[in-house]
Amino acid sequence: MKQRVSEGLLFLGFTGIASTLLLALLWAPSVSLEAFESPAAQRIFYWHVPAAWAAFIAFGALFIGSAGWLFKRSEVMWRLHTAGAEAGLATGLMTVWSGCVWGAAEWGTPWDWTDVRLNTFGLLTLLAVYLVLGRSSQPDGVETRDTFAAFGLYGFVLVPLTYVATRIWSIRHPGPVVGTGDEGSINGDMGLVLLLGALSFTVFIIGHIMNSMHVTSLEQRLERLQATMDKVI
Amino acid sequence: MEGMSYLAIAYFGMLVAIALWTYTVVQRSRRLSQRIEALEGAITGRFESE
Repeated sequence: MKQRVSEGLLFLGFTGIASTLLLALLWAPSVSLEAFESPAAQRIFYWHVPAAWAAFIAFGALFIGSAGWLFKRSEVMWRLHTAGAEAGLATGLMTVWSGCVWGAAEWGTPWDWTDVRLNTFGLLTLLAVYLVLGRSSQPDGVETRDTFAAFGLYGFVLVPLTYVATRIWSIRHPGPVVGTGDEGSINGDMGLVLLLGALSFTVFIIGHIMNSMHVTSLEQRLERLQATMDKVI
Repeated sequence: MEGMSYLAIAYFGMLVAIALWTYTVVQRSRRLSQRIEALEGAITGRFESE
């Protein structure tokens, strides 16, 4: 049942993402030619911002899962940790890659090592790389889980830091366009496409987290069965 | 227009990438379920034959 729900959410989210991109390409209004070096590339924003939002949800799941494992020793929380790390890696890479495409078109360089937001988000994605690769290469055990959960717990500090980075240090990454308290710099139609993108990515990432948790529980069940089989033989 | 073509290609590439990622996760789950069913069947069969 849970498997069906998660697959349904994945399908719904994916359809929404595809619709967002189609609307972003064909329907969303153009930005002024004076405001951007590359106005067409600005439309990558309809992918980049919702992907970053989904990454924050994934890293939130990683934080809750890590805390749940460390303080409650809960198997469900460990599954949430692994699902959050995998979803954080995927959405982190989507955000970084789309940002690099836009940076190359707008700034003439895909990355700026002096910009705080770029680098804190890059570190978050590297944290997810470490957790995903580490789990697949290390034997499962309490000590291993504790180490990864500690990284997931303390690494979360990069999420609020990334969020406030452009509010405190305006270096190269554009400032916030929503939640600024004033009217913001996006008009109604732009906001609508962005909202559809954010909702679709949210549904999609929840589906992925549920599916990954199910996969981890199947892996654990398989290990137990193999151990039983070994005893029988 | 050239910029929009590049953008369309970038969007398409990103959609294909997340479709592939989703496909691998769903397939992993189905493969694991099949292996579990096979193992459970083998264990049950062994107990019944003994």
